[in-house]
Amino acid sequence: MLARIPGRLLQIIPTLILIGVVVFVLLRLLPGDPASALLGNRATPESLARINAQMGFDKPIWVQFLLFLGRLAHGDLGVSVTERIPVTRVILQRLPVTLCLVGFAAVIALVLALPLAFVAALRQNRLPDLALRGLFQIGLSSPVFYIGLLLLGFLGARLHWFPVGGLGQGFWGAVYHLILPAFTLALSLAAVLMRNLRSAIIGVLRADYVDFARAKGITPWRVLTGHVLRNSLITTVALFGLNIGVLLGNSVITENVFAVPGIGGLLVDAIFGRDYPVVQGVTLVLAVLVSLVFLATDLMESWLDPRLHA
Amino acid sequence: MSSTVPTLSVAPATEPRRVWKRPPSAFILGAIITAGFLLAAIAPGLLAPYDPLAFDYDNLQVGPGAAHWFGTDNFGRDVLSRIIWASRIDIQIALFCTIPPLLIGTAVGSLVGYYGGIADTIFGRIVDLVITFPFIVLVIAIVAVLGPGLVNVYIAVTSVGWVFYARLVRSQVMVLRQADFAAAGQVMGYSAARIIFRHLLPNAMTAVIVYWMTDMALDILLGSSLGYLGLGAQPPTAEWGVLVSDGKNFMDTAWWMTVFPGAAIVVCGTGLSLLGDGVADLLAVRR
Amino acid sequence: MRAPLLLLRGLQTTLATDNGALTVVDGVDLDVREGEILGLVGESGSGKSMTLRSILRLIRPPGRVSGEILWRGRDLVPLREPEMRAIRGREIGMIFQEPMTALNPVLSVGRQILENLRAHTDLGRTARRNRTVELLDLVGIPAAAQRVNDYPHQFSGGMRQRAMIAIALASNPSLLLADEPTTALDVTIQDQILKLLLRLRETLGMAVILVTHDLGVVAQSCDRVAVMYAGRVAEIGEVSAVFAAPRHAYTLGLLQSVPDARRIRQALRPIGGAPPPPGTVGDRCAFIPRCDFATAACEVRRPPLISIGGGRLAACVHGDRLQQAEWAA
Repeated sequence: MLARIPGRLLQIIPTLILIGVVVFVLLRLLPGDPASALLGNRATPESLARINAQMGFDKPIWVQFLLFLGRLAHGDLGVSVTERIPVTRVILQRLPVTLCLVGFAAVIALVLALPLAFVAALRQNRLPDLALRGLFQIGLSSPVFYIGLLLLGFLGARLHWFPVGGLGQGFWGAVYHLILPAFTLALSLAAVLMRNLRSAIIGVLRADYVDFARAKGITPWRVLTGHVLRNSLITTVALFGLNIGVLLGNSVITENVFAVPGIGGLLVDAIFGRDYPVVQGVTLVLAVLVSLVFLATDLMESWLDPRLHA
Repeated sequence: MSSTVPTLSVAPATEPRRVWKRPPSAFILGAIITAGFLLAAIAPGLLAPYDPLAFDYDNLQVGPGAAHWFGTDNFGRDVLSRIIWASRIDIQIALFCTIPPLLIGTAVGSLVGYYGGIADTIFGRIVDLVITFPFIVLVIAIVAVLGPGLVNVYIAVTSVGWVFYARLVRSQVMVLRQADFAAAGQVMGYSAARIIFRHLLPNAMTAVIVYWMTDMALDILLGSSLGYLGLGAQPPTAEWGVLVSDGKNFMDTAWWMTVFPGAAIVVCGTGLSLLGDGVADLLAVRR
Repeated sequence: MRAPLLLLRGLQTTLATDNGALTVVDGVDLDVREGEILGLVGESGSGKSMTLRSILRLIRPPGRVSGEILWRGRDLVPLREPEMRAIRGREIGMIFQEPMTALNPVLSVGRQILENLRAHTDLGRTARRNRTVELLDLVGIPAAAQRVNDYPHQFSGGMRQRAMIAIALASNPSLLLADEPTTALDVTIQDQILKLLLRLRETLGMAVILVTHDLGVVAQSCDRVAVMYAGRVAEIGEVSAVFAAPRHAYTLGLLQSVPDARRIRQALRPIGGAPPPPGTVGDRCAFIPRCDFATAACEVRRPPLISIGGGRLAACVHGDRLQQAEWAA
């Protein structure tokens, strides 16, 4: 099991290189020459020349790409145009906040989705199921920014139960400040998880092995936890991996709504500040995060499902 | 436990299946909602009680009431009328974000699925790559480079979104290609184009249409999110996300400026996905 | 004559489906004696498997079981779930047709046995462990000690069926309900599994209800046979007697529809038509539309299962006429 990790890590290297290609190409889509696009209205002949030399924009495109990859391998994502410090440093400052937010949201989503999916599946087509299905149908159609604003407006600004933005002091302050954003983020994921888990559980409940387990005379609780839950967890993990991209994408919007100082907020700020190296860097980091989570859920799936053991 | 069908097949296999099920009420609800928004998009002038752009300084931020069902905004404009006029933009987003990807994706997917080989391998790598990027992040990054605005949103969504349609069509075509009627077509010496267009695609389109319905709902969410962030439709264009963004600073004093436009997104999205689910059921039954 | 272990009287099972309630078991009368193997045969949809599931009350609500299920004289139908659980697995075990789907793919075979032992015995940890290996050994799984931690997908089809039998037998039940245990297997493996069941019956002294649609299997391994048609028992008796001289038109039809290995060339005569869908029979013999012997007398009511001597019962108005029919010729 553990022995497979290095091999799988090697497998994602081509993906990482391709991510690099996309991010590299992205910046070349800028109209005009990249140096003046990078500098915008701050461009002077001297600064243009400096950027051209520094980024190697005067060299052939493939040389530029190799240089880019080389810098990437050293963790060099260029320098932020607005803040004049290395992009890597800007991102590393903000990344932990985003990771906490997303992790927190994932936990909330699982805690919400798993029991509710069970309730819906066990009471299939009866009132609890219909009510929950209605709710997650609405959840699936609700944009994150809207859920966030409603929670912020009513629970934060009106009732003063929660802070309306920022990160607060210390660890618990951060947790307190992240509750609403994490909950917002969790709702959209929970809706997706619940919808799919419900049908997965219904499928498992119909399986012969559930009848066989009942025929052994074990308690319904043990049938549920030992057989149904175990098999549904595999689906949950797979679903989680499939939806991590959506979750990270939504975190960009959530951070914006709640003014959470993570890399999502950074991305939007960078767009309006025309800080392209930061845009590039954040896009890259988010894509790398997705592929790492893919890898993690993949490994976990094969750990949970003996049929996938090597 | 649950009221599931028994594992043993008690009903004989020959039992006649009803060909056309009565459409479930969820589907009807979805169709009505969708039709309502379509009407609003086609003829907003007929439905909107007020001019969406007319300032009315005597009625600033008036709460919901008989005169203004959804209240007025900080310029005295009628929120309901603005939502109705905004339907035009959001329905446009739903169509322009999905139809180009659908066409491109279907073409690429059927070619790749039919011929396989190197093109298919390359396509596989593209799929791997695209699913690695959070969709919205990739779209945001492209819009960032091209500049904010709806046209650039369409370009960004199309340049990524076609992959999902292509992946769907490819898998359908690959399955169908093995089917008897495709083999028969080959034996009869039909051209590849004829087999693809006359035989494979019509059968693959069911799945595409079902996906298209849900995709439209997703793109309304995406488009309004970009509008909210200031990357999509640009003010003063009335678009639901932009309206929500306009209202967010007045949550304390004029909640209706935020709540109603946002609700329009939720209702429209729900309508489209209910319709999509219903269509999925109906098409599956008819098959 | 041995005392009846299980007695079914007017067993009726109704399932809820998308098209309304369906009565799939429609008044089954049956008895199983201590230590015997009773074959339960019939076409697909005749209610064989549902009868087995009903005995253990594995029917999911809103499906319903009514009538009497007398287990050692005690009616199981009114029992509450906890009381029923003490019967399931402990006194009556059950094995399913398809071991690949009936074994949980993500749990090791050993764990699936332990589950049973934990529910029904007070064996300690090591004792349970030993018993698990012993059980796998008993059903003929080679190198049992090494295989307890293997998962179902690591076993071959026949081995999987053996593992399932081991799980069902873990707590020494007195009756094993076997739902087409050989149908999904190769012919040679089928034979091994049947021999295993026969051997286990001898060594453990348990009774078996063997559901099958294969008359050859019945002839090879059963003491008595019950023929089911449209949710009811048509005929029941000693295998040799029933096969030699069927007393229900449907039994005769079944026997004529399979090749008889003892005869070199023969005309096979499949029964025309199909069994009636559940709930469409009405108050007359269910076999009329497909029967060569049907007369007005068959229309009067649904013929009851009555004793015809020699420990046999049949539900056919024309049982006597069959004797002169071509089967004997």
